[in-house]
Amino acid sequence: MNQVVAIAVNTFKETIRDRVLAVIVVFALLMIVGGLWLGSISLGEQGRMMKDFGLVAVTLFGLVVAVFIAAGLVHKEVEKRTVFVLFSKPVGRAAFIAGKFVGLCATMAVVLAGMGVFLFLLVWAVAGEASGMLLVAVLMVYVQLLAIMAVTIFFSTLGSAILASVLGICVFVAGQLSHNVLALTRLGQNAVTEALSWVVYVVIPNLAAVDVKAGAVGESTLAWGEVAVWTGYLLAYVVVVLALAALVFRRKEF
Amino acid sequence: MLRRVVAALVVLACAAGVVAYQATRPSRAPASPRVFVPSPRFFQDFSPSFRTSIADLYYLQMVQYYGEHVSGDGRLDSLPEMTTLVTALSPRFTRAYLFSAFALIDAGRADAAYELLKRGFAANPGDWRFPAYLGFFAYRYGAGEEKDLAAARWYEKAAAIPGSPDYLPRLAAALLAKGGEQGKAVLMLGQAYLAGDKYAREKAVKGLECILPTEKEARMRALAPLYETMPRADADALVAELFREYVQ
Repeated sequence: MNQVVAIAVNTFKETIRDRVLAVIVVFALLMIVGGLWLGSISLGEQGRMMKDFGLVAVTLFGLVVAVFIAAGLVHKEVEKRTVFVLFSKPVGRAAFIAGKFVGLCATMAVVLAGMGVFLFLLVWAVAGEASGMLLVAVLMVYVQLLAIMAVTIFFSTLGSAILASVLGICVFVAGQLSHNVLALTRLGQNAVTEALSWVVYVVIPNLAAVDVKAGAVGESTLAWGEVAVWTGYLLAYVVVVLALAALVFRRKEF
Repeated sequence: MLRRVVAALVVLACAAGVVAYQATRPSRAPASPRVFVPSPRFFQDFSPSFRTSIADLYYLQMVQYYGEHVSGDGRLDSLPEMTTLVTALSPRFTRAYLFSAFALIDAGRADAAYELLKRGFAANPGDWRFPAYLGFFAYRYGAGEEKDLAAARWYEKAAAIPGSPDYLPRLAAALLAKGGEQGKAVLMLGQAYLAGDKYAREKAVKGLECILPTEKEARMRALAPLYETMPRADADALVAELFREYVQ
């Protein structure tokens, strides 16, 4: 446990030093300019537009940061040979993967909290709406990104950092289309393709099961039970993927 | 030194060229009134988590499209499809319905505007503006002798929604009376009297004065149903006001 915490703290410091917080500043500038512009063209729907596009920006900025940092975490250690120093001490490979993931979780929490709180304050100041649902939606985006980070770390144990980044983004896109895969499964006339579609459906994370953005703009009423089950599902998914990553990393020879 | 100056001049000349090229482009020709609008199904299937954001984007495009064509060629050919797309992706986006309904009137599609508002009301049953506008559209653009009653029924529905303004029951009552349903009109004005402030009560009494018979017995009979829909004290107060002239 101590090993995981030590690696996590180190990873957090390392990623924060990568000027990753600059993303929050870029996001803030984008939202201020975008918010003012939207106010002039949306016929009084400034609040809704800022919330909606703000959440899309939080998701996309978060995705880019999460994927690119996660892809480099393990790979960088191997490339710089620092991993040898680490493994010469009594540090397990599973603890290494877990520590890296927890450290990145902390970094992403800071990044998303920064963007979320700024968006909340901006919407409050400009449109006069103190929307708590906005913060809930940012929290849900964070949970989605945890799954993507775990998947990207898993891919980074298999191949290069670039490949892991690309595959991480592909999984995010595929995760949005999960229900379509299920539809394909049901349409399948062939037992083999049907079984294959079912496997794909189970393997990719279901990121679109609950529409948190729609909940934040008042489009749909979120069923809290459903949200809790979905969050539990994604966290369980993270555990499984990290266990697989640890398994692959354990068999890796340097 | 000379090389640096030359290099700087080359960069400046290039920058001037870039700006000059863009600044001298002719302004964009008016866009076609027929634009490609994808099916809502496409976005519902392929971007379920981003559907409200896509609805917002198309709403902004719809506003631009309307602004560009309404004062130009007056053709709003693709407006109905855009409206369908936005409201299908975001059924509770009330502004989109209301804006589109009036834009569709400009496009000469009162029927489509009416249907759109009906869809909007089905998706937002707690918003009194939908039945109120439906009443207005039925009255303004409807045809035949039944249009007053159709409008009155929408106003009745709007008046029944909590938070709706005081004038709606009066409006409904006036149209009911015009359509020949005096009995219902009396009840609506009774509700207006019950729910309103001093000004609204005065208006309700004036409205009743216009539709009630002048003969005392007939007036009493016409007012009798009010005791079934109003608290007795309020009904007594209203009847007293309506019979003030008779007492004097």
